[in-house]
Amino acid sequence: MTNLMTVDYGPMPRPTGVMPWKNRSKSMLVSIGLASLLPIAFTLLVAQHYAMPGATALIAMFVPLQLVAAGAAATFVGGRRGIADAILTVLVIFLVLLVAIVLGSVLFNLIRKGIRALSLQFLFYDSTYVSSSTSLDYGGVYHAIIGTVILVSLAAAVTIPLGIGVGVFLTETRSRMRGPVRFITQSMTGLPSIVSGLFVYAFFIISGFSEQVGITGAVALLLLMLPTVARLSEEVLKLVPQDLRSAAMALGAPRNKAFFQVILPAARSGVITAILLGLARIVGETAPLLMTTVPSDSKNYNPFSGPMSTIPTYIYKWVSAGSDIAVQRAWGAALVLLILVGIIFTFARIFGKQKF
Amino acid sequence: MQIEVSKIERVDLFASKPRRGDLIFFGFAKTAAYFAFSLVFLVFIFLSLRSASTFKEQGLAFVTGSTWDQASNTFQIMPMLVGSLVLVVLALFVAVPSSIAVAYFIEFMAPARVARWTTNIVDLLAALPSIVIAIWGAFVFTPVAAGWGRLLNQYFGSIPVFRNDVDNYYRSPFIGGWILAIMMIPIITSVSREVISRVDKELVNAAYALGATRFSAMRRVILPTARGGILGGILLGIGRGLGETIAILYTINLIFHVNIIRILENRGGSVAPMIASYYGEADGNAISALLAAGVVLFLLTLIVNMFASFIVQRSEKKMAS
Repeated sequence: MTNLMTVDYGPMPRPTGVMPWKNRSKSMLVSIGLASLLPIAFTLLVAQHYAMPGATALIAMFVPLQLVAAGAAATFVGGRRGIADAILTVLVIFLVLLVAIVLGSVLFNLIRKGIRALSLQFLFYDSTYVSSSTSLDYGGVYHAIIGTVILVSLAAAVTIPLGIGVGVFLTETRSRMRGPVRFITQSMTGLPSIVSGLFVYAFFIISGFSEQVGITGAVALLLLMLPTVARLSEEVLKLVPQDLRSAAMALGAPRNKAFFQVILPAARSGVITAILLGLARIVGETAPLLMTTVPSDSKNYNPFSGPMSTIPTYIYKWVSAGSDIAVQRAWGAALVLLILVGIIFTFARIFGKQKF
Repeated sequence: MQIEVSKIERVDLFASKPRRGDLIFFGFAKTAAYFAFSLVFLVFIFLSLRSASTFKEQGLAFVTGSTWDQASNTFQIMPMLVGSLVLVVLALFVAVPSSIAVAYFIEFMAPARVARWTTNIVDLLAALPSIVIAIWGAFVFTPVAAGWGRLLNQYFGSIPVFRNDVDNYYRSPFIGGWILAIMMIPIITSVSREVISRVDKELVNAAYALGATRFSAMRRVILPTARGGILGGILLGIGRGLGETIAILYTINLIFHVNIIRILENRGGSVAPMIASYYGEADGNAISALLAAGVVLFLLTLIVNMFASFIVQRSEKKMAS
């Protein structure tokens, strides 16, 4: 009967407004404020006075000053133990900003310089009769876009079934070779793209099987895309709950039907993401295409004969041409390439977010 | 009554009569897997076969000499190999701290919304094709970095690393190293983030409760636990850096003269861009030599990547248990 003695007050209400870790004394606030404002002010003044370039002032003056100031403030607030903390915080934020600035600069310049070349005519005309001094009002990147689309679709058409097949082998079978296959495909994802180009060159072109045509480029891209798709599709197939497989088996489904009607639909969004990431990996590949295809200036829809341009080799060609207008063409094409990659990634995001 | 579970598990329902659909299905999967598996050997064997003559003619001097001369049939790639390593080391100086900082920032410092944005930034950086980075590096970044190089030389010129006797700060390994770092950061970051996010949050909070500061928690708890994975990520980044072609081709000069420490001078080297740039004018023997360079590059990256995936897998297993 001891229970009668205790009184249940129910859950205690959490005291509001009592957050000792959020208490900041006035002197603390002042020192933190000063530590963040003084370096900026000082750097701005000196940079203004000596007409320093922004990046130099930032790296050579602002960051060291900020480190010292933060260290001083931390010593004031938290004693000696605060210094390392302050330095860590400042460095981490600075490095994150550095990465963000680099990306920002790439995107900003690409759009600013690319937009000059970009127009409907740039997208829908090829470069027949265009030389490195032809004005931007003539010619375009159309033949390179269709080249890229043809090569990438050819590579994808072979890679997607093969890649998913490897994923199936790694997740649905009990073969003893799974370990080695997984290990080798994982190592192959880091295959340098130039080596893939060299291999195709040695295998098809030196041996005399083929000229440098579209299809040889597609094979080089295939070698780069296959390991990516294989590895990612293994990852997503592994995420499908084992219970689903068992349930399908228990209902008497043969394993291939279980895969196509239960497991694959369950992993659909992930598999699509894997494919899209594989596409993004190869759509901007340049080095292997330099060795395995010959750029052209006119449309070529036939991957089995004749020269064929792609967007990356188009960029390479016009950068090599060197004149201002040629380089502007290259920037325009780079923007087109980025838009293509952006579209692929947007799709990847949309499908990646879908839950099964 | 108790059922003997072990006996039930041993019954293989499918071994008795394999169906035709299954045979085809798994036959295809097996073929695909063995095809992917054999690709490595196919690539290696064909490249070696086609370049055997170079290895035979040049001998060991192929990787220890520094002359590349088509006319006298001498092909030696040591400056390019050394140049590759110099570039990778330079890139690591920038890429490793940045990547760990970004990973730490996303996992431990940033509020959820900022963390999401930072993740997007890294993903976007990973998505940029290397030709895009190349053209940005050649026309936008090079002038800026050349200015940095000039400043470094002006103030620290007495240190051998920053010496420059040619007064040309363009197309130097210094610039190539920055570009390479930009290409390595997304890889190292994503692997480090993966392992840092698996560090037991309870452990970190316990450290804070015991009075750890951000720094000591990072040094004594997070880094030791995540070390293996981060190392694997760095190795993957190195593999990527060794194989990078077009961005390096656009930002450094390829000179057949070993240059290890003068990183601000406009002479460097790297195997992959060398192959791309010499391939156009190469004839029979030179092609074979380029293929041989490809074999060296392939073996180098394969070893680094295998080592990396081994380390990553091991650390994942260790953290899972």
